[in-house]
Amino acid sequence: MQEVDNVLRIFEESRLAIEDGNGSTLRSLSDQTINTASRTQDPDNIATAVIVYALSKIIEREDYRNQEGWENFYNNLINLIDKTIKAIKEKKEFLVKKNLEAMRKEINNLSGNLKKYIGEVFRKASVNKASRIYAHGISQEKTAKLLGITIWELQDYAGATNVSEDPEAKTITVRQRIKCMEDMFK
Amino acid sequence: MKAIIFDASTLISFAMNGLLDELRGLKDLFDGKFIITKEVKKEAIDRPITIKRFELQAMQLKTLFTEKVLELPKSLDVDDKLITEDAKDLVNSANKIFYGKNRKIEIIHLGEAECVALSKILTERKIPNLLAIDERTMRMLCEKPGNLRNLLERKLHTKITVKKNPEKIIGNCVVIRSAELVYMAYKKGLIKLKGNMVLDALLYAMKYKGCSISEKEIQEIKSMDRKKQFIK
Repeated sequence: MQEVDNVLRIFEESRLAIEDGNGSTLRSLSDQTINTASRTQDPDNIATAVIVYALSKIIEREDYRNQEGWENFYNNLINLIDKTIKAIKEKKEFLVKKNLEAMRKEINNLSGNLKKYIGEVFRKASVNKASRIYAHGISQEKTAKLLGITIWELQDYAGATNVSEDPEAKTITVRQRIKCMEDMFK
Repeated sequence: MKAIIFDASTLISFAMNGLLDELRGLKDLFDGKFIITKEVKKEAIDRPITIKRFELQAMQLKTLFTEKVLELPKSLDVDDKLITEDAKDLVNSANKIFYGKNRKIEIIHLGEAECVALSKILTERKIPNLLAIDERTMRMLCEKPGNLRNLLERKLHTKITVKKNPEKIIGNCVVIRSAELVYMAYKKGLIKLKGNMVLDALLYAMKYKGCSISEKEIQEIKSMDRKKQFIK
């Protein structure tokens, strides 16, 4: 795992934010993993970014708490976060990986509407994080593969962001580009 | 013979905007081939056709493929194996261009690399070609890799070192986007909608479905169009 200290801090602070029900802090913590995730493309960093972002959305939805299976799901997640923190501190990387996987698989233990809702939250979290990694300069296809989503999902989401407004994105002039195309169509 | 090589991103922009008939119209006007590689076909058609959310658009793209509006490189006598081999080399090299904190930054994947590999093969065979790419990274790598280095450095807040010459790896590829293609469709009268805001609507539709074009560039295209109409 890359930048272990950072991931440890993210999970420790996330644990507190969950107790406080503070979604915006969780989102900010998730964003803080994006630089490392983009640069190293380390699966554990990417998983951390997705999980923490998904948690920010989940804890903000009070209506989920009335759904059947919520109590169990919430307690299991908290338990897995604590286990992850402990495993990082004890430098047991294989356990960190196992716990991160288990957090995502918690969805499989759900049923009915909650399973559908939480599954969708995780999917959207993956697309959101993919869009951030793409914005950092990693290609669409590469990013989609890293996050396990399709280019279609990423492109649909990224189009609504400011990615194309970055000044570096301007490479040649529109006039030059159109000239090349017109010459080709002659 | 000449060719336009489509990346998945450009096909997705056309498909998501319901403008595949216009793409077909452009092909009819083009004295050459619209080519997609094996990997691009997978990303644009074969995979999304199995996902309910994108099934319809992927089916529509598949129809273009069946009708030979979009064709595989073998229609130009280029072997898939050759493209895959070249693309793998290209991915391998391109992903070792930029380094941050002494670690390579992997920036592209196989489908994107296949388009560039095919473009290089066609250029070697003296077949004029253009790449149609809507996504930003590959386009920047082809046209101005220095800008990509600057972007990575700014976004990652890390000093980026260039360890390989991007121009040597990529060659001289020329890139167009769905925005330019839809402008061509508009100019050639392939757009059924009428009115003075149609071009604006088309360009913004492409932008919001993922074509990497800035507001300023859209204004430039519109201004070019106004000047051409004035001259007429």
